Amino acid sequence: MRSVIVLAGVFVALAVCGPLVAPHDPTAINIAQRLSPPGPDWILGTDALGRDILSRLLHGARWSLGLAFLISVIGLCMGTLMGLLAAQGGKLADWIVMRTTDTFLAFPDLVAAVVIAGVLGAGTGSLIFALTVTGWMRYARVVRGIGLSLQTRGYVVQAKLAGLSPLAIARWHYLPALMPSLTVVWTGMFARAILGISALGFLGFGVQPPMPEWGTMLLDARIHMRSTPLQMIWPGLAVVICVLAINLAGDALRDRLAGQEEQA
Amino acid sequence: MRVILSLLLRAAVVLAGTALATFTLLWHAPGDPALAIALARFRSVVPDAVIEQVRVEAGFDAGFWPAFLSWLGPILLGDFGQSSVTGRDVWPELVTAMSYTFPLALSGLAIGVALSIPLALLATRHPGGWLDRFAVALASIGVAIPQFWLGLLLILLFAVQLGWLPAMGARTPTHLILPALTLGLTVSASLTRILRSGILEARGRPFLPAFRRRGVSEAHLTRNHIAPHAAIPVVTVFGLELAFLLEGVVMVEVIFARPGLGIFLVGAIEARDFPKVQAVVILAALLFVTVNLLIDLLYQVIDPRIGDRDA
Repeated sequence: MRSVIVLAGVFVALAVCGPLVAPHDPTAINIAQRLSPPGPDWILGTDALGRDILSRLLHGARWSLGLAFLISVIGLCMGTLMGLLAAQGGKLADWIVMRTTDTFLAFPDLVAAVVIAGVLGAGTGSLIFALTVTGWMRYARVVRGIGLSLQTRGYVVQAKLAGLSPLAIARWHYLPALMPSLTVVWTGMFARAILGISALGFLGFGVQPPMPEWGTMLLDARIHMRSTPLQMIWPGLAVVICVLAINLAGDALRDRLAGQEEQA
Repeated sequence: MRVILSLLLRAAVVLAGTALATFTLLWHAPGDPALAIALARFRSVVPDAVIEQVRVEAGFDAGFWPAFLSWLGPILLGDFGQSSVTGRDVWPELVTAMSYTFPLALSGLAIGVALSIPLALLATRHPGGWLDRFAVALASIGVAIPQFWLGLLLILLFAVQLGWLPAMGARTPTHLILPALTLGLTVSASLTRILRSGILEARGRPFLPAFRRRGVSEAHLTRNHIAPHAAIPVVTVFGLELAFLLEGVVMVEVIFARPGLGIFLVGAIEARDFPKVQAVVILAALLFVTVNLLIDLLYQVIDPRIGDRDA
């Protein structure tokens, strides 16, 4: 759990403070200095419009990480509500919710997101909608499974018989039981959202220029692959490092939880 | 038998749900679809009368449900309609696109399997050893790399810097090498992770020491006891793996300008050619539902205890 919190802290710090330490304006166009190699003025060089790549990367953290955080949290809320509805709402609600999750899971999320974002028109709003709509099913499945098993547990039944309000039961019995598994699923979905945002940005369906999103930066850099290949390395590396860090934290958390379960 | 029937019913519901979701999305897409069709067809300013004519022709005037049913009917009979831009039948173009996508997807899958099985077997020989750590590190990085960026890096190295392999298009068989490698490397990363944990778990089964004490050989144990147990998680995730493969195909085709389903889909979205978009979505959904159905049926064979996966 601690590793995930530390990691989240680092990412929040990066998204908040990154723009503050950026040496240049990420959207300032400077044609005279276009495609300059790395040097004292431009630590990582400049892009085709003479914009400082390091500044764009640092500002891009706000888009790539911030949006991914937002998307994964909205998905978490949506999926949890759907999962609870399936577990508590009776047979019909369960059937409807589970067939809906099946329908969404039956399809590769990224392809669905590309179709949704592309059809609704490129932009940050449709990007968020597309990745959220395709990213809540795993939470719903986990929550439904745990919810169903909790329903018949002695302490939950007793709490109900003792007249505890549903809200109190949710707070004191459901939340603690759901938290660990949901955190593991959340790390996976956070990483997926970062990859999804960069893929949609690269296809031109995501965050629009001149905003410095990492996928969009790769789209720009691709054209100048021959003359300035290094330009294409940095945004990709940023994505890989962030996704890798999140995945490793998620794995560590999952292993610890598995260990605790074995002990218990 | 009851399980099979319920699986079939579920597959049908999922397909109908996908069709409905797709149609709803396109129905609510911004802009007037009739205007888009008219503009695409006549490529100039069109009078309102023509737009209205297109609207009636396409059945858009009748409201959501009649339009949905009149679209779904022909598809059930295998008729995907005509492109709203060119007016040509969608199906032959779809078949051409598939003829580029399937070799890519299959060779990517083959490379992935060919790399991951030996790697997972070598890694699990000494769990925690340097080879195991190396395999885990490699797989972790492979899962974190965006496929399109890996493709760009391979183009940069093998096509731009070394000049060994062609990068763009699909004219010759050598054009398949780089895209298939991109796909195969990312697939092998996730497969290695799954195989490794599957094998480790199977090795930890309590019946193995009992067999060893009775003098059963290691080779026999691996073949008849460890492999089947390691196969179950692989079958479970194969459906997910296929989804991952199709996602990869879309991105990889765009990177390498290979005229398969990925380019077909992205091009159709950009041209707002909705019949084409619908056709790809329905086709993909059909593919996935079929594969998942086969997996569920295969489960019944491998491990009859599992029964219904949700229950």
